[in-house]
Amino acid sequence: MLKNILPENIYNILAEKVSFNAINELRLRADKPIVVAIGAQRFFLSEHGLGGNLDEAIKASRVMIEDIIFRASECSIYSVNEQIKRGFIIMPNGVRLGIGGDLIEEQGHIKTMTNFQSLNIRIPHEIYNCSLTAFPYILQEENILNTLVISPPGAGKTTFLRDFICQLSQRNYAFNVLVLDERGELDLGGSSLGNFSDKICFASKKVGFENGIRSLAPNLIVTDELGGQEDIEAIRYATSCGVNLLASCHSDTIENFIKKPSFSKLIDEKVFKRYVLLSMRQGPGTLEGIYNENFSRVTRL
Amino acid sequence: MNFIILGVLAGICIFIGYIFSIKYKRRSSFFKSLVLLCQKMDVEINYSRERLKNLFQNFDDKMKKNLQGIDKNFLQYLESNSPLQEEALLKNINFLKPNEKDLIMLFFKSLGRSDLASQSKELKNFEKRFEEFSQQATSENKKYGSLSIKLGIAAALMLIVVLC
Repeated sequence: MLKNILPENIYNILAEKVSFNAINELRLRADKPIVVAIGAQRFFLSEHGLGGNLDEAIKASRVMIEDIIFRASECSIYSVNEQIKRGFIIMPNGVRLGIGGDLIEEQGHIKTMTNFQSLNIRIPHEIYNCSLTAFPYILQEENILNTLVISPPGAGKTTFLRDFICQLSQRNYAFNVLVLDERGELDLGGSSLGNFSDKICFASKKVGFENGIRSLAPNLIVTDELGGQEDIEAIRYATSCGVNLLASCHSDTIENFIKKPSFSKLIDEKVFKRYVLLSMRQGPGTLEGIYNENFSRVTRL
Repeated sequence: MNFIILGVLAGICIFIGYIFSIKYKRRSSFFKSLVLLCQKMDVEINYSRERLKNLFQNFDDKMKKNLQGIDKNFLQYLESNSPLQEEALLKNINFLKPNEKDLIMLFFKSLGRSDLASQSKELKNFEKRFEEFSQQATSENKKYGSLSIKLGIAAALMLIVVLC
């Protein structure tokens, strides 16, 4: 899929001298060197592959960035304008192109984005068994405890959620899982979401939760990146309907997470019984701790 | 034998006239199809945000024929990773004037590059310009297209008179 969107020379270097299996992120900024992220490390991309030398690094251009976005939208930017307004394009295989540029606002609403100047191409990976350590702490006595996965961006939240769904399926826990995939990142196609999951894509949490609970009767809802007040209300709505939750949000430490005002109600009401903290310390997906509703560690790692 | 040669020569004169007239006819139907293409695209992208590839693939067969292969060339560009070149897009089309070529290139280069509202506006603007070209080409076809055939027939008749 990346072959169709990347310039031929960049693609060839990455395919022949690096490996797409190893790359987590590819960052292109106008008139700046292309940066490749592998695990927690960052490298400049040169004709020889990955190198630390700034002089040899290949620089991205605005034309290059615009062309990648054009290709990623299947040559039809108008068809993905709603995604661009939110700052990203999702490709069919879950590759996410985060976009930076000039946002055009009209009467308080984002109309579109122009002057694309930076691009963050995130390549998802299935990391089998990455949720296994946390699995017995989340699934107890045939019950899934409401769990929030917390990590900074790019530290493996989505991969964790995806693997957890897969683990449930592999162990034949026939929970009806509703995957609310707001950005189309969770499903990588094939059997990446196991055999017992239904999917609602590109809907807001509020709409997705209401429709999904009404029409698909899930036992567990899995969703990524909780943020605003509307998301919090959707979570409260789901728990009031007796549906369990596995969700994720951004934060680097438990202390900083507790300080987030939007989550205070959920914390006070002890909606989540487990908090899983991930970091980049030893590469994406490093499990830092599992906490209970009172933020006491339930395990020493 | 002389009559046969005369017949062949007269036929050739008429055929040359027809060849000249075809150029005008093609120009006229080409621009008419471009106008229709703009209209269809405007409707489709506003209604279903249909991708360019699907739009071009599903364009009416008769209209496709009138586009003289430009649709196929554009599809090839969409599927390749190379920039849009005039020689590749307008290959085998020899009836366009330089300003028409420029506008057509501009049109195809603008496709798929902007958000819905801007794309729709651009399509309407191009449609207007193509409409002007179409009217011009239609009047040229009426004027010079039929004239070419008439001249061909006249030349054939003159040839018959002179040789007889």
